[in-house]
Amino acid sequence: MRSISFGAFLGNNSNLRARSYVNRLPLFTRGVLVAIVVFWIVGVQSVWDLRTWGALVPDLVGLSSLYRLNTYPFIHLNFFHALMNVLALVPLLERFESEHGTLTSLALFFGPFVTIPSFMYLFVEKVVLRANTPVMGASIWVFLLLGIEAIRTYKLNPYLVVGTHNIPTWTSPIAILLCVAALVPSSSFLGHLCGLAVGYFCGLGYLKYLAPPEKILRWIEGKLNLLGRLPHYVSIDQKTYGRFGVLPSSGTSALRLRRDPRMLKVPPYLSLLCIVVGAVWLFLLPLNEYSRRTYISENALLPGQVHTYFSGSDQHVFRAYKHEVNELAGKTNIDVNDRLESIVKGLGLKTARQNFTYQSAGRVYSGENLYAILQAPRGDATEAIVLVGAWENVKGELNRNGIPLILTLARYFKRWSLWSKDIIFLVTPDSIAGPQAWVDAYHDAHDSSRINSLPLKSGLLQGAIALDYAQETRFESVHIVYDGINGQLPNLDLINSVVSIAGGQMGIGVAIQEMWHHNDQYPDRLRTMLRGMLKQGLGRASGPHSSFIPYHVDAVTLQPFGDGWQDEMAMGRVVEGTFRSLNNLLEHLHQSFFFYLLMQRERFVSIGTYLPSAMLVAANFTIMAIALWVKSGYAEDPSTAKKQPASSKYTSTPAIERNLFLPLGVITFCQSIAIIPLYLFNHAPAAALPPTFLLFTILNTALPHLLSHYLTTYHSPSTQQHQLIKSFSLLLLGMFLSSLATLNFSLALLIGLLASPLTFMRPWPGSAAARYTCTLLLNAISPTAVIFAGAKYWGLEVGEVLEQAAFGWDVCGMYTPVVVWCVWWPAWLAGSVVTLGRPKAKEVPPQAKGEKDL
Amino acid sequence: MDGAKVTLGRTAALYAGAAVLRLALFTLFPGLPDLLTGRVEISTPVTSFKRLQEGLFLYNHNVSPYDGGVYHQAPLFLPLFSLLPSFATLPIFTYLLYIAVDLLSASALIKIADSGEAGSSVHFTSPRREKRWSGFIVAAVFLFNPFTIATCIGRSTSVFTTAAILHAIAKAVAGAPFSAMVAISFASYLSLYPLLLLPPLLILCYDRRNALKPIPSRYNFAVSNVALVVGVIAVLFQMSRFLTGSWEFLPSTYGVQLTLSDLTPNIGLWWYFFIEMFDSFRSFFLAVFWLHLSCYVGGLSIRIRRQPLVVLTLLLGLFAIFKPYPSISDASLFLAMVPLYRHVFPLMRYTFVIAAVIMYTTFLGPAFYHLWIYAGSGNANFFYAITLVWGLGLSLLVCDLTFAVLRDEWEVERPEMVGKDIRQI
Repeated sequence: MRSISFGAFLGNNSNLRARSYVNRLPLFTRGVLVAIVVFWIVGVQSVWDLRTWGALVPDLVGLSSLYRLNTYPFIHLNFFHALMNVLALVPLLERFESEHGTLTSLALFFGPFVTIPSFMYLFVEKVVLRANTPVMGASIWVFLLLGIEAIRTYKLNPYLVVGTHNIPTWTSPIAILLCVAALVPSSSFLGHLCGLAVGYFCGLGYLKYLAPPEKILRWIEGKLNLLGRLPHYVSIDQKTYGRFGVLPSSGTSALRLRRDPRMLKVPPYLSLLCIVVGAVWLFLLPLNEYSRRTYISENALLPGQVHTYFSGSDQHVFRAYKHEVNELAGKTNIDVNDRLESIVKGLGLKTARQNFTYQSAGRVYSGENLYAILQAPRGDATEAIVLVGAWENVKGELNRNGIPLILTLARYFKRWSLWSKDIIFLVTPDSIAGPQAWVDAYHDAHDSSRINSLPLKSGLLQGAIALDYAQETRFESVHIVYDGINGQLPNLDLINSVVSIAGGQMGIGVAIQEMWHHNDQYPDRLRTMLRGMLKQGLGRASGPHSSFIPYHVDAVTLQPFGDGWQDEMAMGRVVEGTFRSLNNLLEHLHQSFFFYLLMQRERFVSIGTYLPSAMLVAANFTIMAIALWVKSGYAEDPSTAKKQPASSKYTSTPAIERNLFLPLGVITFCQSIAIIPLYLFNHAPAAALPPTFLLFTILNTALPHLLSHYLTTYHSPSTQQHQLIKSFSLLLLGMFLSSLATLNFSLALLIGLLASPLTFMRPWPGSAAARYTCTLLLNAISPTAVIFAGAKYWGLEVGEVLEQAAFGWDVCGMYTPVVVWCVWWPAWLAGSVVTLGRPKAKEVPPQAKGEKDL
Repeated sequence: MDGAKVTLGRTAALYAGAAVLRLALFTLFPGLPDLLTGRVEISTPVTSFKRLQEGLFLYNHNVSPYDGGVYHQAPLFLPLFSLLPSFATLPIFTYLLYIAVDLLSASALIKIADSGEAGSSVHFTSPRREKRWSGFIVAAVFLFNPFTIATCIGRSTSVFTTAAILHAIAKAVAGAPFSAMVAISFASYLSLYPLLLLPPLLILCYDRRNALKPIPSRYNFAVSNVALVVGVIAVLFQMSRFLTGSWEFLPSTYGVQLTLSDLTPNIGLWWYFFIEMFDSFRSFFLAVFWLHLSCYVGGLSIRIRRQPLVVLTLLLGLFAIFKPYPSISDASLFLAMVPLYRHVFPLMRYTFVIAAVIMYTTFLGPAFYHLWIYAGSGNANFFYAITLVWGLGLSLLVCDLTFAVLRDEWEVERPEMVGKDIRQI
C-alpha cells in the first residue's frame, strides 16, 4: 500500500520534476534568490555604498542599525561571491522549504536563523576577539543548512565506512568548513562556524521551540488562502518524502528521460536523420561556402618562380629520340630496354634493370624495369625525385611521346648543376605492375622470390612525376591523375604546384578527373567531386604514380589531352618547372592536406569539412545498435506495461536478461564465412570468375533463407535475439566503417550508403508480404547485385571487374575486396536473416526480473 | 567422481583447442608472428620479443646484453631462451614454450575461479554468488580472447609475468603463502610493477590461511612474508648478477621502467606526455606518475578489505591503463579476471558502452597508427587520441566493476534497498 502511494506520488510529481530545476523552485527560495540578485545589482553602482550600509560590522551594530542583522546575508562582495553562494544555497534552501513549508522558512530565516548566528558572531568577534571584521553573504545559511542536513544524515546513516574505520557522517560539514577556510580567500571562518553551530543545534532539535507553532501558521494559511494565491507556495501540510541518505529516485530529468518509453522510438528517426544529413552534406560541399580555393602551403616550393630553359635545340634531340622509340615499337621488353639502356648510358647516367613476375587470377604479369640515376651535383644522395614513364599506359597505348621526352629531359637535366636531389628516370613495361615492383623493391618490401632487388639505389624518394603522353598531335591541356591505391592521395601542394606551373606560368589548361571542360559551376564541381570519390572508393591504381603513394611518396601522372597548339617542349617545361620546385624542398611535403576532395583544379574541401558526412552515415549504424541493445533489455510484451497502474508509467520498465549466445554465434558465423568469397574471388583463374560469380550470386540469394530456416527450426530465436543479432551486426558495421572513414573516406561513405537500409530491417512476424518486399529490396542492394549493376553501368564485364579486383589485391595490396566481402557482405547477410526471421510469439523469459544483465 | 572426470576431459579439450589454434596461427601464417611482434600495441620496449632476440644474440656472443640499450628485460630470460634450440632454425620450440605458458596461466585461472573466492571471501559472502561461471568458462574466455592470442603470437615476454601473477593469486587463494610469495617475487622480478600487488595479495593469503588454520600473529605473518619476497628477489638478483657479470641490469631493466627513458609509442598514457615534457619537469612528473600508479594500492586495499581478490582485479585493470609500458597483454590479464565477477555483472551499468569503446579502439588504434607512421597523413596526436579512448574504455570497466562490487556489498548491509536505483547526494 505504502509503496503504491509512493509510486503515485512519484508519478504525479514526475511531470513537474521533469521540467527544469529552476521552474520548480519553491516560493521562499525564489524570494531569497531574487533578493540576492537585486542586492547585487544595486551594489554595482558606485554612488551609494550598499556594502557598508548592509554588512554585519560588529562596531556599527546598535539599536538603530539592527537591520544589518537581516540584510547581511543578501549582500555579497562581488559577483563571484554571490554566484557561489547562490549555487550552494539554492538546493539546500529548496529542500528545507519544501520540507517545512514556505511560511515556516520565512519565519525562521528572518528570525532565529539569521539573528542567532549573528549574535554569536558579534559576541565572539567583539567581546572575545576584540576585533571588528565585517561579514556579509549567504554562506552563513549554507553552513547552517549543511549542519541540519548532516545531523539528519547522521541519524539515518551514522557512519561512512572506509575499510575498517567508521567516520561519523555529521563531521562532513566540518570538513567542508575547513576546506573553504583554507581554499577561499577572505572567507570568514568564524562566521561560517557560527552558522554551522546553529545548524547542529537546530538539527538536534534544540531550536524546535523557536519555530512558529503549526496551528497558527495553518490558520494564517487558511485565512489568506495562500496556497491558492501564491504560485510555488509550499504549504505546511505538504510533507515531502525523506531526502536524506540514499533514496530510491526516479531521479534527475536525464534519468527520467532515459526511462521514458518514447525514447526508444527516437533512434530509427535519428538514424534516418543521420543518413539524410550525411547524404545532403555531400551535395553542399561544392558550394562556395563550404569549399575553399587551393593555395600553396609549403613556402619552399616556389612554383613557377624560375625561368624554364627547356626548348630550342632540345626539340631536335627529342625528335631524334622519338625516331629511336618508334623503331622500338612492337619489340619485346628486353629489346626495348637494351636500346634504351645504351642511350641512357651514353648520356653518362648509371643504369640498372629489375625483373619482376606477378601472378593474379591465373595470369602472369612479368617484365623488366629499366632505371637510371642522375646523381645530384649539389646533393649527398640522401634524397631523390623520380620521373616515370611506362612503355604502355593504362589503356595499353604506346607512350609514344612520353618515353622520348623522358630521354630528352634526362639529357637536359644532366647539363644542369643546380640539382640538390638525385633524379631517377624509370621506364616500366606497363603502368601498374612495373612501378609497383620497382617501388616495393626500392623500399625492400618486395617478395624477393618473384621480384628482383634493386642493384642501384639512391636516397629517400621525395616525389614522383609520371608522364603518360601517348597523344600524337599537339595538345591543349594537361590532365592530372592523382588517385593512389586504396584512395590515398598525394599532398595537395604537389597538385597545386603543377596547376600553378602549367596553368599560371605556361598558360596550359589543367583538368582533373577527366573533366575535359569545366565551367566551375555547381554541376561540374559536383561531377568532378563524385568522380573523384568513386575512384577513391574503388581504390584501384589509376596510373604509374599510384604505387608510389602508399610509400608516402607524393606522385601524380601528367597526361596531355585535347587539340591545341602546345607541343612536347611545353610538356617538358612543365616537368622541368615541377622538378625545380621539388628540388627546392627542404623537407618532405607535409604542409598541405593529404585528405581532400578536389572539385575543380583550384577548389577543394578538406577532411574537416567532408568527414562528418561519412561519420554520420557510420554513426547511424552505431546509434541503431545501441538503441536495439537497450530495447532488447526490456520486456517485449506491451500488454503487461498497460496493465500496470498509470502511476508507475515512468518507473522503470522491468529489464530482462539477455540471451547472448545465439546472436553472438550467428554474427561470428556470418563474419567467418566471409573468408569464402574473399578467397574464392581472389584465387579463381580469370576464366572461372564469371561462372563463380554467377554461382555465388545464386547461393547468396538462397543463403539467408537457408540460415533463417535453420535458425527457426532448431533454435526458434525470440524477438530479443533478433534484435541482438541486428544490434551486433550494426555495431560491427559502424565500427568498421568509422575506422575505414579515416583511411578511405569515399569507400566508407559508399558502403555506408549502400548498407544504410540494413538499419531499418526488422523481422515481420505478422506480414509475409512485408517480409518478402524487404527481402527483395535487400537483394537489390546486395553486394553481388551492386557489383553486377556497377559493371553493367560502366559497360564492363563482371569477370573483368573481378579480375581487376584480384589484380589490385594481389599486386597493389588494394583492400577494397576485403571491405566488400568481410565488412559489407556479413552485415548484409545478418540483415537478411533478421528480415526473414520469424520470432516466437511473446515469450516471458524465466530469469528473475528487475535486473539488467550484460 | 564421474563429473570430475568429465570436467577434466573438457578442460583437456579446451587446452588442446587453444594450443591447436595458436599452433595453427603460428604455422599457417608464417608472417603473422613477426607482424604482431612489430606492433606497438603488443610489444613494448620492456616486453618485445625482437629486443629479446637482440639481447640473446649479445648474450650468446659473450657481450653484455644491455650494451646498445635495446634490451630492457630481465636477465634470467636469456639462459631460458638459450636453452631452447635456436629460434632461427627451430622456432617451434619457442612457440611451444609460449603456448605452454598461456596454458599454465589458464590452469591458474581455473583454480582461482573454482575456489569461489570471487563470490564469497572470508569476510564477505555475496548473495548473488550462485550465478557464476565455472573455471572452464573463465579459462576459455581467457584463452580465446583475441588480445591473449595476439600476445601469444606476438611472443611478448609479458606472458611470463601474467602467468606468475595468476599463479601467485591461485596459490594465495589456496592458502599457500609461501608459493604465492615466490610467484609474486618472480612476477616482480620480471616486470617490477607486480610488486604493487603485494599488499592485497598478503591480505588474501592471510584471510585464506587464517580460515584454514588460525594464524597467531598477523604482524609476524606480514613481516615474514615480506621478508620472503625480499629474499627471493635478492636471490634472483644475485643470479642475474652472476649471469651478466655486473649490476648493470638494474638500471637497464627497472631503471628504464622507472625513468621511462625509452619513449617508443605504446597504448599507455605516458609516452606522449613525456615526449612533450621539458626536461626540467621530467623527474617531478615521473614521481607523480609513479605515485599515482601506486596510490591505488593502499586506498583499494583498505576500502575493499573484505574482498582482496577484487582489489587485485581492480589493480590489474588500473595497471593496464596507467603503467609506464602497458600493452594489450595487460588488458588481457585484466579481462581474464573480470569474468570471475559474473555474479555482479547484473549490477554493472555500462557493459555495452565498454564493449563498444574497447572494440572501436581496437580497430581505430591500428588505423590511426598506420596513418601516422606509414601513410604519413596523420600525426602522433591521432594515435594518442585513440590510446586515450582505450584508457577511457578500460577505466570505465574498472569503475563499473568497482561500482558493482561495492553495490553488492552495500545491498548486504542495506537489504531494503535491493533492486532500487540509487542517487548519491
